[in-house]
Amino acid sequence: MTDATTAFFEQLGARGHEPLLEKATGTLRIELSNGKANARWFVTIRKGDVTVSHANRKADCVARMDEALFDRIVTGKENAMAAILRGLVGVEGKPQLLVLFQRLFPGPPGSGKHS
Amino acid sequence: MNGLIQILDGNTFVVSDSRGDIEASLTDPTGLFSFDSRFLSTWILTVDGQRLNPLSVDDLQYFESRFFLVPGTGTVYVDAKLSVIRRRAVGDGFHEELTILNHDDKPVQLTVRVDAASDFADLFEVKDALKKKGRYSAEVRKGRLLLSYQRGSYGRQTAISASAPAKLDKKGLTFSVHIEPQNEWTTDLDVVTAAGVGGTYTRPKYERGERRAQPNMERSLEHWLEEAPRVECDWDPLKLTYRRSLVDLAALRFAPPVAGGRSLPAAGLPWFMTMFGRDSIFTSLQALPFTPELAATTIQALGDWQGSRVDDFRDEDPGRILHEMRYGEMTAFEERPHSPYYGAADATPLYVVLLDEYERWTGDRRLVRAFEREARAALAWIDDYADLMDNGYLWYQRRNEETGLENQCWKDSWDSISYRDGRIPGFPRATCELQGYAYDAKMRGARLARLVWKDAAFADELERQAADLKRRFNRDFWVEDGEYFALALDNEGKQVDSLASNNGHLLWSGIVDKSKAKRVVEHLIGPRLFSGWGVRTLAEGEGRYNPIGYHVGTVWPFDCSFIAWGLRRYGFKDEAATIAAGILDAAEFFEGRLPEAFGGYERSVTKYPVQYPTACSPQAWSTGAPLLLLRTMLGLEPVGDHLVVDPALASNIGHLELLDIPGRWGRVDAFGRGRVHVETERPRRRRARARA
Repeated sequence: MTDATTAFFEQLGARGHEPLLEKATGTLRIELSNGKANARWFVTIRKGDVTVSHANRKADCVARMDEALFDRIVTGKENAMAAILRGLVGVEGKPQLLVLFQRLFPGPPGSGKHS
Repeated sequence: MNGLIQILDGNTFVVSDSRGDIEASLTDPTGLFSFDSRFLSTWILTVDGQRLNPLSVDDLQYFESRFFLVPGTGTVYVDAKLSVIRRRAVGDGFHEELTILNHDDKPVQLTVRVDAASDFADLFEVKDALKKKGRYSAEVRKGRLLLSYQRGSYGRQTAISASAPAKLDKKGLTFSVHIEPQNEWTTDLDVVTAAGVGGTYTRPKYERGERRAQPNMERSLEHWLEEAPRVECDWDPLKLTYRRSLVDLAALRFAPPVAGGRSLPAAGLPWFMTMFGRDSIFTSLQALPFTPELAATTIQALGDWQGSRVDDFRDEDPGRILHEMRYGEMTAFEERPHSPYYGAADATPLYVVLLDEYERWTGDRRLVRAFEREARAALAWIDDYADLMDNGYLWYQRRNEETGLENQCWKDSWDSISYRDGRIPGFPRATCELQGYAYDAKMRGARLARLVWKDAAFADELERQAADLKRRFNRDFWVEDGEYFALALDNEGKQVDSLASNNGHLLWSGIVDKSKAKRVVEHLIGPRLFSGWGVRTLAEGEGRYNPIGYHVGTVWPFDCSFIAWGLRRYGFKDEAATIAAGILDAAEFFEGRLPEAFGGYERSVTKYPVQYPTACSPQAWSTGAPLLLLRTMLGLEPVGDHLVVDPALASNIGHLELLDIPGRWGRVDAFGRGRVHVETERPRRRRARARA
C-alpha cells in the first residue's frame, strides 16, 4: 500500500463528513492491485457521512485499477475520468457514485499558480 | 451535408450516402460513430462488382432508414431485373437487413460484396484531420470480422457478422448468391461496437423485423408529444413549426450515464450529441413551459459534474459548471481537455438562473434544496474565481492556452469580440452579457435563499452585491455617444465599443437601468441591428460587420428568442412581438426547423432568410427558439402559484391557443389574438391579418 493512497483514505475517514458527497448514498468499493496483491477499500456514504473500511460489504459501484494509478489520481497527477476513458479503470455498478466521488481528487500540482 | 442520411440512438449514429454506403475520407464525415469515435469508415455494397443506385430512401424513424436500390450506373440504363433493399437500425452499433429481389423469369447467380473498414477516428480528428497514434488490426475469428484499434490501454473494436453463409476476409464479406425467378435472398448484417478489444460480443439493439423504437430514456416519442401542451392557431405555419420543434427536441434528448435514464437536451445532431453547459441550460430554459423535466435533468447532471478543484488544463475551478463533455480517444489521452472541459464563463451563473426559473414554473422545492450546495458554489465562483481583474466584474481568460477556448461566452469564435474599428481586444475580457447573467444569478439566488434555503442573511448579501453590480455596470459599460451598452470591457478596463445583440440579453437579465431601456430597445429593433427577420449579432456599420460572419452579423434564432424575453421583461411587448414574428416567418422557409444562424441581410433585399452553412441540424437552442417565442408572445409568467397570461402577437398569427401548459398550477390554457402590426409582413400575411 502506498503512502498517498493510505493518507487519502485515512483523511477521508477521519473527516467523517464530506460536503461534496452530500447527494451520495451507497458503498463504493475501490480495488487496487500491484500485480501481486489486491487491496480493497470500502467507502460507505450516507448523505455525505463517510466511513472507510477494509471490511467486506455489498457495493453499489466498483472501481478496479493499479495501485500506482490510484496513487497518481489522489495526488492530482492523473485525471480519473481520462484514465477511465483510456480503459485503465474497470467500473461496475452505479456510475453516479463515482462521478460524485471523483470530486474529492485534487487538481494537478502546479495548476492555478499563475492566476 | 446534402444527400447524407443520418439515423441515431443516443450518441451512436450513422451518416451515409443515399445508397446507404459509407466512404469516409478526412473531409467526408460519414461513418458509424459512437461515444465520439468512428467505428466504421467504409461500408460499401456491390453486386457483381458494381455499385448500386438509389431509387429512394425512407427515413422511417429516428433510428432506422430504408434504402431502395438497383444495380447499374444509373445515368442512362437501369437494370430493373433486380432490386436491392437495405433496412438499417442503429443502436449499440447497427443492424442491417439486406434483401435482393429477382424480378426476372430466369434464376440469377450473383456475387454480393460488403467492404468494411474503420479508421477509428476521434470526432475531433474528423474535424481537424489529425494522424492516429495507435495500431490497427483486422482478423476473421469464429464467423466475425473484427476490426480493432489499440493504443496502450485504449482499445476500440468493431465486430461484423452475417446470418447468411459468407466468406469473410480482412476487408469485408462476400456472398455467393443464387436466386430463383421471382424470388429473393436476404441476410442480416450485424455491426457491434465495443470499448476495449477482445471482450464478449453483444448484439445490436435491434433485430430482424423489429420496428418498435427502444429509446434510451423513459419516455417514448409518442408519450413525449402527448404530454406537451397543444397549439391551436389560425396561422398554420406556427403549428407546423411547433410540431417540428417538439419532434426535434425529442431527438435531441441525451441520457448521460449519470442521469439514470432521464434526459437533457444535447447541443445538436449529430456532432454535438453530448452534454454542454451553455446549450443544455439555454435549451432547458426555452423548453420550461413545455417539458420542464429537461431542466430538472440538466440541473442534476451539470450539478454532479460541477468543478471541484483547480485544473488549468481543463480550465476547471471549484463551483464552475462544465462547458462540454467528450468520450473519444483524444480526450482519453488528454490531447483535448473535454473530460469534461470547463471553459465557459456563462454556464455557471446561468445554472443558478435555470434553478430559479425551474422553481418558479414547477414549484419543485425538493430539487432546489437538493442542489443548494451546487448553487452556492456557483454563486461563489462568480466572485472567487471569475473576477480576474479584481474589480467586481465577471472576466474570462483561458488557462489552457493550447486547446482551451479563447472566447468563453456564447459568441465563441475568434473574432466575435471587437471594437468599432474592428480591432480585437486582449485578455482577460468581460463581455457585457456575462455581467447581466451574474446580476440575474445573484437576484435569483437571493430569492431561493429566502424562500427555500431559509437564509435571509445570504439573500440580503446577494441583493446588496447585485445592486452594486448594476450601479457600476450602468456607469462603466454605457457608451455615451451611442447610447447602448459596450460589448465588453478590455484588459485595461476600457470599453469594447461595438453595438451588438448582447444588449438584448442585458434586458433579459434585468441589469439595465429603466431609464436606459428605451434607447437599448430602439437599437435592437432599429435598422443597424434588426434585419426584418431578427437581430443581427453585430450591428451594420461596425468594423467587423459581415452579414454572413458567424458571430459578427448573422441572425441567431436562439439569440433573438432571449432578446424577445428581455423586451417583455421591460414591458416592450410590441417590439418583442415584432422579433417573434420575424423569426417565425423565417422558420416557415425552413419547414419549421430553424437553422443555427442565417445571414444578416436586409429582409426587403433577399426576401428569404439565407442559411448559414453548418453541419449541425437540428440544433438544440434553435429548436427551442419557437418554444420561447410562444412564451413571450403569450406573455406567460408564473406569479406565485398562478400563470399570468398577457398576450401581444403579430396580427397575422390571428387566434393562438396554448393548451395544457404544465406547472405548479397543474395544467392551464393560454389564449391570445394577434393585434400587433408588424412592418415587415409580406402581402400574403396581410391577407391573413385581415381574416383575423
